[in-house]
Amino acid sequence: MTKLKLSGVSKAYGATMALRRGDLEIEAGEVHVLIGANGSGKSTLCKIVAGSVRPDHGEVLIDDTPVTVSGPRAAQALGIGIFYQELSLAEHRSVAENILMPDLPREGGVFIDRQALVEKAARVIALFSKVAGAELTAETPIGRLRADQRQLVEIMKALASEAPVLIFDEPTSALDRAQVDRFFEILRDLKSEGRSIVFISHRMDEIFAIGDRVTVIRDGETVGTAKIADTSPEKVIRMMVGEQEGLAAPQSAPPATAAAAGSVALVVAGFSGQGFSDVSFDVARGEILGFGGLHGQGQSAVLRALFGAPPALSGSVALGGAALRTTSPRGAIASGLAYVSGDRGRDGVISGRPILENVTPIHALRNRLWLARPGQLAQKALPALKALNTKFAGLSHSIGSLSGGNQQKVVIARWLIDRPDVLLLDDPTKGIDLSAKADLFALIRKLAEDGLAIILYSSEDAELLNNADRILVFNGGSVSRELGGADRTRYNLYHAAYEAA
Amino acid sequence: MANASPVTMGNQSRFGALLGRFPFLPALIILIVLLVLNGLFEPNSLSFRSLTGLVRTYMALMLLAVAQTYVVYAADIDLSVGAIASLVNVTIIVLMQHLGGGGLSVMAALGVGVLVGLACGLVNGLVVAALRLQAIVATFATSIFFTGLALTILPVAGMPAPAAFWRTYGGSFLGIPFVFYCAAGLAILLYLLARSRLATQLLAVGDGQQAAFQSGLPVTAIRIGGYALCGVFAALAAFCITGDTASGDPLVGAKMTLFSVAAVVLGGSALSGGFGTVVGSVIAALIIGLINALVFFAGTPSHWQNFVQGLAILAALMVGILVSRRGRR
Repeated sequence: MTKLKLSGVSKAYGATMALRRGDLEIEAGEVHVLIGANGSGKSTLCKIVAGSVRPDHGEVLIDDTPVTVSGPRAAQALGIGIFYQELSLAEHRSVAENILMPDLPREGGVFIDRQALVEKAARVIALFSKVAGAELTAETPIGRLRADQRQLVEIMKALASEAPVLIFDEPTSALDRAQVDRFFEILRDLKSEGRSIVFISHRMDEIFAIGDRVTVIRDGETVGTAKIADTSPEKVIRMMVGEQEGLAAPQSAPPATAAAAGSVALVVAGFSGQGFSDVSFDVARGEILGFGGLHGQGQSAVLRALFGAPPALSGSVALGGAALRTTSPRGAIASGLAYVSGDRGRDGVISGRPILENVTPIHALRNRLWLARPGQLAQKALPALKALNTKFAGLSHSIGSLSGGNQQKVVIARWLIDRPDVLLLDDPTKGIDLSAKADLFALIRKLAEDGLAIILYSSEDAELLNNADRILVFNGGSVSRELGGADRTRYNLYHAAYEAA
Repeated sequence: MANASPVTMGNQSRFGALLGRFPFLPALIILIVLLVLNGLFEPNSLSFRSLTGLVRTYMALMLLAVAQTYVVYAADIDLSVGAIASLVNVTIIVLMQHLGGGGLSVMAALGVGVLVGLACGLVNGLVVAALRLQAIVATFATSIFFTGLALTILPVAGMPAPAAFWRTYGGSFLGIPFVFYCAAGLAILLYLLARSRLATQLLAVGDGQQAAFQSGLPVTAIRIGGYALCGVFAALAAFCITGDTASGDPLVGAKMTLFSVAAVVLGGSALSGGFGTVVGSVIAALIIGLINALVFFAGTPSHWQNFVQGLAILAALMVGILVSRRGRR
């Protein structure tokens, strides 16, 4: 019997289609796995079911009746509980309050029934008592818990809803083996009670351990559903890869193979810090080194650590043969490193200020300019902006008047006035349009030809496959595989990324 | 550094845990220090009479600080609390005057006063939470609007309150000053509110609006609830102002607004929301009162009083923050 059905659901954020055509059918008493590459639309699909995102088109049916999920409250009323990947916990509230936040037990209408609160919460906490750690009690504030314990609390919150349909969006990313095992036992119990469970995970072993059926989603479209018993990890990866097997798209120039000719620019050895450990690699002048793998496996953290924001805890870095110790971005800039983040709002754009001021801060820093002469600066800014085909009305216009792609070009142009030696690109094309992407990669390849060493992390696999000379695949904070030459295929990339950690 | 003695570590984390449970601890310490200082400069200031006077004068600020705290819980702010208090002050004065000033008319006026405060709070809530305007600017605008209303009701300060009203507020029952009954009533009210669903939900919204929304909380309604509560407490503050000054003044509350914000911060609440206590705000309101008294008792020349008062509040804020930081580490 079909418990929950989604047909033809879509959602666009501005010009970006987060979900093109989502179809999903969940039966009562099954664990249904949803799998897809980075940004393929899984989380959007889940949020539509949970009511925190409204679909543009399509239908949601529960027990074969079309429903409108107008918000998270409506979803709760319809019997849908969800585990949010980014967690939905209140830092300063206690575990018990968080677990029951959606429906705090009342006393006399306006008061919280403290006794019922603690009792109900304790019942859910007890499910994980052996694996959660002693600090996790009903009274502990969330702020005092470790990452894995917070994830457990979010799981408990979903379980406490006692909803017939439960959605878990990457619930195990921070959990250890014992915690995952216990969680799976609970899921099996729920399944036997006839509840429907949607489960998202990137760990192939988990998917095959707990799933009954798997639905693969690719580029915002549901590709197909299969019984776990009838499929294999290889088949699932094939479905995720689809027809796009042929690697470098023909329209892009083949990646420069000048790598061998260039001298080594940056050598990193035994690099460890927050979110990554024992990472070693080198980049040559004229080479584009790709960082690949799933989101948040340490790629950004390594790049930020190289730039000193914050510095790594241990390991050595050598730039052009000389040891380099960056303790702050200021020092990194002085030694010739450049860093461009995909998170423009936080790390790039100086919002509300003119374009000129946004192009020149690095130049001003490196040359210790104390007085700004707009005329002179403009002379330096214009060629840098032109190199990227940046479209803007005038240097004095606010950066906010530009599109996302052009804003990012301005941020990159910043580094082009005085050439750095190493360019660190941290998912630089996040949320920018296709033509800007093309301009950007044309420039990146040209910079490489000019002898810059470039490290590119991208969450879009096509960008890596088309542009990187070598790809390091990250998994759980360390490099699990290096792909070079003909090995750079989408299949190999996925295979390395989805390997059991 | 590496061999930091485990004893200090233990002490610090124990202090941290204590601070986690009672975030108003630094404020309480400052309060005690100030009481001692006051006693040193003017032994008389610790007498029952003077303490009663202190509470009577600063009851209004305590209530305004409490009002502000509930809004700050949800990471909002209300710059109109003073204006609401003024509006309620003139409303009840004019009403009592019109109704004759007897016991019944006083009660009726107070009832209307609470409703006026509630209405003002609802207006703020609708403007900030439902229309999604910036809280700082929107409540600043409504404060001007409320002040305008107050000026229409009573254009000039000075209409006296009926004797029945201020004699009660300044008087005693069974040998205990009336303000202490007020304080006890406030304590019970705060205890009940701390147990309410609304208080917890406000704090959850302050911790993260998106998370609260995804948890299924009616975020807009909760924020409006916070502002409504704030309006009611501002009205109660107005009653105390009226009892203390025994007259109507359409601008009486204006200067108290930012003091209420200062008290919230001094009391250990986070302006970024999600964390704080009303008890801390009450204590902090008393701290501000004691600082004013101390400046007076220390014999500061009148033209220096503002200067010293400002410095003292800054110092108190600094001490509070330093103590909390040590505890949190």
